[in-house]
Formats: sequence, structure tokens, C-alpha cells
Amino acid sequence: MLRAKITKSVGQGVEEFMLDVEFEVRQGFTILFGASGSGKSTTLRAIAGILTPDAGRITIDEEIFFDAERDINVPARQRRVGYVFQNLALFPHLSARENIEFGMTGLSKADKQQRATAILTALHIAHTASRKPKEISGGEAQRVALARALSCAPKILLLDEPLSAIDEATKAGIIHDLKLINRDLRLPILYVTHSRDEAITLGERVIVMEGGRVVDDGEPLEVFRTPVSHSVARLTGVENIFTGVVLASNAVGGILKLEVQDENGACRIDIPYADVALQTRLTLAVPANDILLATQPFQAVSARNLLRGQLLSIEDHGNRTVAQVKSGVLWRVNLTRQAVEELRLSPMQEVWLAFKTHSCYRLDE
Amino acid sequence: MGQIDWSPLFLSLRVAVLATALVLVLGVGLAWLLARRKFFGREFLDAVVTLPLVLPPTVLGYYLLILLGRHSALGRMYEALTGHSLVFTWQGAVVAAAMGALPLVVKTSRAALTAVDSDIENVARTLGQTEWGVFWRVTLPVARRGMIAAAILAFARSLGDFGATLMVAGNIPGRTQTAALAIYDATQAGRDNDALVLVLILSAAALLLMYATNKLVNRES
Repeated sequence: MLRAKITKSVGQGVEEFMLDVEFEVRQGFTILFGASGSGKSTTLRAIAGILTPDAGRITIDEEIFFDAERDINVPARQRRVGYVFQNLALFPHLSARENIEFGMTGLSKADKQQRATAILTALHIAHTASRKPKEISGGEAQRVALARALSCAPKILLLDEPLSAIDEATKAGIIHDLKLINRDLRLPILYVTHSRDEAITLGERVIVMEGGRVVDDGEPLEVFRTPVSHSVARLTGVENIFTGVVLASNAVGGILKLEVQDENGACRIDIPYADVALQTRLTLAVPANDILLATQPFQAVSARNLLRGQLLSIEDHGNRTVAQVKSGVLWRVNLTRQAVEELRLSPMQEVWLAFKTHSCYRLDE
Repeated sequence: MGQIDWSPLFLSLRVAVLATALVLVLGVGLAWLLARRKFFGREFLDAVVTLPLVLPPTVLGYYLLILLGRHSALGRMYEALTGHSLVFTWQGAVVAAAMGALPLVVKTSRAALTAVDSDIENVARTLGQTEWGVFWRVTLPVARRGMIAAAILAFARSLGDFGATLMVAGNIPGRTQTAALAIYDATQAGRDNDALVLVLILSAAALLLMYATNKLVNRES
């Protein structure tokens, strides 16, 4: 297990940025999630020993990589950290095989070749062995970089947005291989991404970073479904975030009546009960996945929030379709293309929305 | 027309080859320091290294005489090692030519080193390489075209050095008289043909070398 407590001031003047994080990475995938500039890459660099923290302590199992108090700073070359950089950073003057053999120290030439062949085969890139990085595809280059990171028998694997520049089909193949690697090696794997889908597909745990700090930490579905703060909700892509005031409170019934507002107008909804005074301002998130859309009024359903509205637009975002519905405020609803087709949805038509009280999450400001 | 004395040309070649070797070691080392390390006085060092490009060659020669002469520590050290002074020897001409080529080597190789993605070097570090290993196995091979261009420029520049060589090594026929100095002598003595032959050979060599450098640099970009 990796334990990291890192403080580092990066840049100067107006560009100065303070990284101050503390977290643990157990075996398996841990996702480091956040917008660009949140300090994810700086964190990886500190763990790898490419960048020296101002203060803190980094350990893996019983081994100390860095300890500011005890003046310990193990150089990068002795840490055995497998690192896939965002730009891959393959050695352009070496073939794929030579790139992979580069990190194998203390082995005979025959052993190196044998191990490189095994890794090349396992990652389905044996055919690229003698090619230079510029002669292979993006997906293949990705696999070579991964193979090279694994070649040094790493104690931890750091992957910095490894799938950001490749197409969906290739991505799915590599994710499959990453899962196999995870199953076989059971290494701590710290995986940086700003893609919610990647985080959910791969992650056993997600650490959300913003402005150089850890703002949330937990299981991906949990973190993404019930974001604890406005910033986490925004980062993790929760689509409906509103502020509102408490109009009525019903402890027995378990609900608060809230009027939410945005630039389009206002709308009254029910949210789970909490002990707050009337007229308290709250921030609220409703995931677009949790809202049902119908072309007729709902009848006899348990959901407390039933809204009539007007469909403004339907946008295709790859594997999901987002409908924008004005009902007081602007609601975003995730649909499938199949549903859009079968309901014969078209802009300006009247629709009904339904979502449960418990699909409304209060966010800390 | 008398028999042309080719010895200045051969001496020039020998001086240029050795000066290139010397200035590559020194110049690439300095370039690496300037490109990869932050330290107090870095820009000052850069300016000092550039001086031979803009100073009169005689001034460079004068400094070298002071630095390498019998009264300097370096000069005495050299004499203790080899048994003779560096001044007024062909070895002195090597040093003079190397110093003249230093700015070209530092500028060219610094640009080539700066162009190497620092993450490639970082990866090499995470894969167990020492700083020396990173330089030899990654930085230098990736920047090789720029390095070759720097070597060609250094060779071409060394082949034609005049002023600094004259100050440090003198103009002793058969011993320290390089082609550039021989051209001067031949012109002064009215041996125009001898001068012309050497002029044409030096010009052709320089043209060829510059053409090769341009090809190399353009292929890189």
C-alpha cells in the first residue's frame, strides 16, 4: 500500500499553485480524478521521485520513498515506480522491444529478450517489436508505454490519463488488458483521468482532487452518485445543480419543500428531510440518470417530484443522449437513443419528468 | 609555379579534428548545464561562452595567451604533464581553434538538448538510469542530429581559424602554420597561385560542410 502526504508549491507569482494532499492507494485501481490543473500530475511526479515535495512523507509498504522530516529522498531510479506519462514519452530512437528492455536491469541479454517477448505478447503488440514509436499507431504506442512501465517489475503503477488520446474501440481493449494486469499482479495502480466513464469502469476507489486538494474519496459510484460538495458534483459531471430556499419542513413525512432557481425561473421540489430552518439556502444536485421522462402525465407513482415541462433540445453525446427540459428551471435528463426514437421525441413538445426525493442530494457549499 | 607545400593543409585538418573533439566535450557539457540546470549566474556563463563569436580574434588569442602561458596555473600544469609549453605549438592552435568554435557548439547543442522532451528523461530515471545513463542512453541519442550539426560547424570553424591561432601558436612554417595562415603568407609573398589553391580548397570544404549541416537540421525540423 502506498501512503502519500505531499505538500509542494509549484510555480511563482500569480501562477503559484499549492499542492497539499494526503491519501492511501491500496492494491487495485485507485482513480485520481479532477479537472486539468487540479494537481493530479504533480502528485504522480512526487510519488515517482521526479519532483521533490516541500514537505510530507511517501511510503510504499515498509519502504520510505520520501520523508521530509528525516531528510530521506530516494532517487527516482531506485523507487521502481512504473510510470506511463500522459504524452507516453516513448524513446523515439529505440524500437518497441528496446523501449521495453530499457528498464530491465541486472538481466542477461537472453533473459531480457525472453521477458520483453512475453510482455509484448501479453499486450498484443508482438508485431510492433522492431518498429520505432513513430511507426506504430496511437493504441499500440499506448500499449508499448504500458509494457515498458511493467518491465521494471514495479511496486506501483502510475498511469497519467493513459487513454485520453485514443478512440473508443481501442480504449475498450486496453481497459480490458488493464483489468487483466490488475487481476494478475495486484499492484497498487494510481490512474489519473478526468473521464467519469473510465473512473466508473476501472475504479475500485476514486480520489477527487480540486485546486491541489483532495475534496472527496470513496467508491466511484458512491462518489459520483452522492457528491459531497458543489465542486465534486461539477467535476464528476452531475448535470442538475441548483440553489434553492426551504419553504416548508415535514419531519414526519421525511421531506423538505424547496424552491430551486436558475436563470430560467423557479420550480418547487421535495427533497429528503433535514433539520434546517425555513428560508435556509441549500445547494442541490439531481443526477440526469435519475430522472424519468414521459410524454404523458405520470399516474400513481411513488416519486414525489412530478413536473410538467417543455422539451427544448435533444443532444447526442456518444453513448448517451441528453434532453433539456424547461420546467421552471432547466433540467437535463439522460436518455437512450432507443427511447428518443420510441417516444418520438421532438423539440418544443410537452413532457413530464419524475424523480424520487432521494435522488436529490444536498451539497456542502 | 613552384611545388605547393601541402603541409599547412594537413596541419589544419589535424588541428580541426582535435579541436572538434575537444570543443564537443567542453561545449556539449556546457550546453547541458545551460539547458538542464538552473543555477546562479547561468545567463552570465551563457554570455561568456558566446564572447568568442563577437570579440576580435586577437582579443580571444590574448586571453588564451594569458590563460595558457608559462605564468598561468593551467600553462604550468600543461608543461609539467607534457614537458613543453602550449604556446607556439600546434597543440596551442588546437586550443585556439576550439575556443573559436565554442559558441557555435554551445548554441547548437543547447538548442538540440532543449528540444528533448524532459519526460523522456524522466521515464529513463524511473526505469533505473543514473543521470549519466540518462544523458548517454537517452538525451544524447535523441539529440544526435543537433550534435552532429554542432560537430560539423565546429570542424568547419576550426579549419579556418586565423587570429586566435596566430596569437597562441604563431605562424611557424612546418610547425604551426595552418592553411589559413599559409594563405596570408603566400599573399604577402606574392605567391598568388599557392594562396588561390588553398583558398579554393578551404572554400569548397566549408561550403560542403555548411550544406551538410543545413540538410541535417532541415531534416530534423
